[in-house]
Amino acid sequence: MLAYVVRRIAYGVVVVAGVLLLLFVLFFAVTDPNDIARRALGDKVPPDVIEQWKANHGYDKPLWPWQAADNLLFDHFRRMVTFDFGRSDADDAPIVDRIRRGIGPSLVLSVPMFAAGLLLGVVLALFVAFFRETYIDAAGVFVCVLAMSISILLYIIGAQYVVAKLLHWFPISGFDPAPDVVARFLAMPVLVGVLTGFGGDVRFYRTVFVEETSRDYVRTARAKGCGEGRIMLWHVLKNGMIPILTRVVLAIPFLFTGSLLLESFFGIPGLGSITVDAINGNDFSTLRTMVFIFSLLFVVGQIAVDVSYSLVDPRVRLE
Amino acid sequence: MRGGRISAAAGILAAVATAACTNNPYPDRDAELPILYVAFREAPKTLDPAKAYTTVATQFNGNIYDRLLEYHFLKRPYTLIPALAAEVPSAVPLPDGRVAYDFELRPDLLFQDDPCFALGGDGRATRQVTAQDVVFQLQRVADPALASPVITAFGNIEGLLGFFERLGALREEDPGLAELPIRDQYARAGPIEGLVVEGDTRLRVILSAPYPQILYWFAMPFSAPVPWEAIDYYDGQEGRPHFADHPVGTGPYKMTYYDKQARVVLEANPNWYGVRHPEWKAPGATYPSEGMPEDAELGRLDPELVGQPLPFIQRIDFRREKESIPRFNKFLQGYYDMSRIIKESFDSVIHEDDLSPAMRAMGVRLETLVEPSVFYIGFNMEDDVVGAGGGARSRKLRQAMSLTIDSAEFVKLFYNGRGVPAQSPLPPGIFGYDPEYRNPYRQVDLERAAALLVEAGYPGGLDPATGKPLSLTFDTMDTSARGALVDQYLVDRWRLIGIDVQVAATNYNQFQEKVRKGAYQIFEWGWIADYPDPENFMFLLWSEMRRSRNEGPNSANFSDPRFDALFVKMKSRDNDAERLRLIREMRALLEEERPWIETFHREDYVLFHGWLRGVKPTGLSFPTVKYRKLDLALRESRRVEWNEPITWPAYGLAAVAVAVVLPGVFTFFRERQ
Amino acid sequence: METWVVSNIVVAVLVAGAVWSGVYVRRSEMWAQAARELWRRSPVALLVVSLYVGIALVDSVSWIGGDGVGEDTVALHEARSPIDRLFADFREESYSAPLAAVTFSGETPLLHPGTHLFGTDLLGRDILHQVLKGARIALLIGGVTSLLAIPLALFFGVSAGYFGGRTDDAVFFLMSVLSSIPSLLLLIVLVMVMDKSTLSVCIALAVTSWVGFCRISRGETLKLRELEYVQAARALGIGPVRIMYRHILPNLMHLVVITFVLMFSGLVLSEVILSWLGIGVDGSWGRMIDQARDELSRDPIVWWNLSAAGAALFGLLLAVNFVGDAVRDILDPRTLRENL
Repeated sequence: MLAYVVRRIAYGVVVVAGVLLLLFVLFFAVTDPNDIARRALGDKVPPDVIEQWKANHGYDKPLWPWQAADNLLFDHFRRMVTFDFGRSDADDAPIVDRIRRGIGPSLVLSVPMFAAGLLLGVVLALFVAFFRETYIDAAGVFVCVLAMSISILLYIIGAQYVVAKLLHWFPISGFDPAPDVVARFLAMPVLVGVLTGFGGDVRFYRTVFVEETSRDYVRTARAKGCGEGRIMLWHVLKNGMIPILTRVVLAIPFLFTGSLLLESFFGIPGLGSITVDAINGNDFSTLRTMVFIFSLLFVVGQIAVDVSYSLVDPRVRLE
Repeated sequence: MRGGRISAAAGILAAVATAACTNNPYPDRDAELPILYVAFREAPKTLDPAKAYTTVATQFNGNIYDRLLEYHFLKRPYTLIPALAAEVPSAVPLPDGRVAYDFELRPDLLFQDDPCFALGGDGRATRQVTAQDVVFQLQRVADPALASPVITAFGNIEGLLGFFERLGALREEDPGLAELPIRDQYARAGPIEGLVVEGDTRLRVILSAPYPQILYWFAMPFSAPVPWEAIDYYDGQEGRPHFADHPVGTGPYKMTYYDKQARVVLEANPNWYGVRHPEWKAPGATYPSEGMPEDAELGRLDPELVGQPLPFIQRIDFRREKESIPRFNKFLQGYYDMSRIIKESFDSVIHEDDLSPAMRAMGVRLETLVEPSVFYIGFNMEDDVVGAGGGARSRKLRQAMSLTIDSAEFVKLFYNGRGVPAQSPLPPGIFGYDPEYRNPYRQVDLERAAALLVEAGYPGGLDPATGKPLSLTFDTMDTSARGALVDQYLVDRWRLIGIDVQVAATNYNQFQEKVRKGAYQIFEWGWIADYPDPENFMFLLWSEMRRSRNEGPNSANFSDPRFDALFVKMKSRDNDAERLRLIREMRALLEEERPWIETFHREDYVLFHGWLRGVKPTGLSFPTVKYRKLDLALRESRRVEWNEPITWPAYGLAAVAVAVVLPGVFTFFRERQ
Repeated sequence: METWVVSNIVVAVLVAGAVWSGVYVRRSEMWAQAARELWRRSPVALLVVSLYVGIALVDSVSWIGGDGVGEDTVALHEARSPIDRLFADFREESYSAPLAAVTFSGETPLLHPGTHLFGTDLLGRDILHQVLKGARIALLIGGVTSLLAIPLALFFGVSAGYFGGRTDDAVFFLMSVLSSIPSLLLLIVLVMVMDKSTLSVCIALAVTSWVGFCRISRGETLKLRELEYVQAARALGIGPVRIMYRHILPNLMHLVVITFVLMFSGLVLSEVILSWLGIGVDGSWGRMIDQARDELSRDPIVWWNLSAAGAALFGLLLAVNFVGDAVRDILDPRTLRENL
């Protein structure tokens, strides 16, 4: 068991190293630090200031280890691994501070969205599966496909226009972490987030539940005189939760990363919003850091899933 | 029984939902507080007054850093009034063509309270502002490490560029120098000869040549007094922020919260001279009693304002709004007190050049102003086809292309007519602007354009070398959807004379690459004046400012010795008849040469609610928040009235869902039985 | 070679390919049955998809030359498709509502009153024209990306599954790395570092989307490798390339078809987000939506360009999603459910 865990973690480390190498190639080998400096400083500065800026940000070193012992590649690995992310290319602000500030709002948005999405998804899927092979089922599946075929951009535009502008239910955008007001800012992004996700989720959950209902134990239960509602809520739900949870657990790392579009449109200053600012401002150092953090969280999440599986099912370890 | 429980639960839920339903983006407890709400779009990169050059930074900095001089709130043309200085100095001629300005600072000026002042002695929360603090800030402007964008302008001060050179050289020689406190570093580099301090309050500024515009630069935050303690203290170490994120100034407001990605809060500064010495009735600390005739009509000279001590508002809450639609809608809901008008909402707000009846009913008011700005399409004069190298042929091509762009239509389509079609680089309100002038090449005349193309050797737009329409490239960094529409419009216009212009929308890096290599032909740009002087526009075409040589703002790389000679003569003159003559001559030259197709001068439309007083658009970016006044009761009642939630659609939707599902449920259970 | 020539050749190849696959499907019992079943299950969705494909193909054929309707010098010298020719000179000064007879703001009569089905945009261009042209871009994005991603995934997946060992480790590592980076971010970063063009968007989309299918084809190959006839072929001394080509690839074809259909909607939706970030493809529906979203606050509201682009996008994705469901159920009810 321990051997498996160690092996799994070691592999995770290798994957993270691979991610770092890929990021390095994308951000350093392809882009010219001179351009990053010009972008940050504006067009009017003399060349020696550019050099100074590059030195301050560590962009003046050669790229590869075979060029010099003190090179950007090692520097990049060292900084990322030690979480010494340095300063933003755009405005010299420490990136760590920015991330620390962004995690809160991101979680405040994504946790309720995640919980509401899961709850709604399972309830709707159970409901539809219960009425399988009636028009309710067909309509449910149709609505799911419908919901999946609409771009999130359209959902956001629609929600802001109808719910906030015409009906005055919630603020159009904005954020305030104070507990007495935070709910009103979250209502719309959570609603949109749930809407964009529920099509695929409900369809998947429904398939799982429908498959479960055709299993032997359900038939046995029915023969014993168990009510259909009870079968659904007790047996089917319980057994169906395993594939559902697998899917759900893998989504947990994304809770931290927030949503690029939702945060930007609704003015929530979370990590997603920071990322979009970095994209729009060509702030490569921030963007690089965000990509790394997201990947790291994902790898860690996956290791956690795999290890907990191996606890439940020893066969996994053999693979 | 069960149905009863369900409907009861639904009722409670609905009641809770209705109670929680509000679109107020602020905590309810703030409703009665005298807070001005303002939106900002871009996070400022830096608030260091030596570097910050953007409108958004000035929006904060201008209120925090008082300058020696400032602009009169109401008077036009723009007039300087004393702020920290007791009077506006006049030029004193010196031998060798040098000029001096003598500034006398007000006595008893204090910086805002800040922990950094403990560095200068135990328990000190603030200290006296002296002339030395102004000198210190100008040394910072000349510090090569700061890369101040305005060093060229302040370089007119005698010895400032020498200081820049010396400091740079010293740092190079002795890398240990950078470790010293900043004042010691500057001391090692020696004095700036043109900045002479006499006592605590007298500062003599000596220019090596006449440059009357220098006074405008003393009305901008670049030259505001800055305490050395703040630079030493706010170094980003041990949890202290950087000075660029923590301004320490002398102005009417100080910053109390700064999260530039989301929110900035300014509060009135009790140390401000206006608050501590209302008896001075200083012009920068008292609501003005005179203005332009329209100011009286528009209620800007009402008795409850005139002569009152400033500032009126105790707190300003800036919120970041990245998207324009939410920002404007919040204004309409009363949650922002004022707003620029946005293009998309123009038709809903303005009818026939005045406010729509709906807006009037809301009590919204409108102010318009032509900004001291010019927008233009530029040609790269170093290009073989459109540039100066092509001689008369290229000039005729530029003239023909200029004759096809319809500024009036352009402004109507993309700016709802909020702009004045431009005839020359100089906008209204700037010395040398001539409302009667009609540039013959800025009128739409497709026939003349076609004739010019024939003369240029491109009959019907066809390039004899290829037998195809002449193909040119229009380079832009604007990859937004709106930018694409603007470009498409221009392309469509040039198609009318048979010229095939391809848009190359690239990202910033690729664009810079092209600019460096000179591999661009046509581009689009705009300029908003730093100060109200024709020099600030004409220098955009001065050969010294060429992008290709000196990385200057002359992106057209226009270089004409005749123009340069006129410019140098015009630059340092006072506004007299000779200067006007020089400007006319430059205008005639540009008219013929066409390095630019001037499109328009932007017009600013500012909307504000009836509960806000003391608003006048400025054009130049100087802060006027201290003149504003709020009527809180009116604001609160309007907000409530305008934002009543409409709840019936929620019930309607629920009813429809139930109506769709219920029959199925009944059928299902009936069949099962 | 000029792009329009390439485009015409591609259309010819595609049409030839379609005819060939039609013949092939008729001959093969299994595929013919699947096709009949598909037609039975979702005829409307199939027709809708074919309509979009047809429009895209027609819009991809272009030639230089005039036919006398509202052409200027530039138009006479550029390649235009039949759709462009249909809408030549079909312009107004600025906005007009669908089927309106006068301009949007004011009472000026239109040049083509009552004929702009979906209205016109700010520059007076017909919205229907733009929506139709968007079909080509959407299919181009989906098609080119699939053309890049599927062979890539097959190549890596099949060789990893077949050879195992080091090859498998390497491919598996590559897949782990790529799937660890949130795909939207990787996509954005890739587009940002490449030139801004349709092809770079497609390449970036391909890089971010091939991993899923690679995983599936690897798994399937692992299973197929152990089958008796493959073992037999190997015992006869047939080379690995030949085995993969003759015995493994044909057995993956149904997965290719399913993946292609299921991947498609995700690709088109991603492009919308890229458009919002200003790095999308010119002329796409995403671009139109981004352009139109600000116009909702005009008064009277300009709703038609947003709705037209949104509806076109929605229609295609809805149809594709239904076809995708049907294709999956018919060809492979089990393998892909967990993976896609």
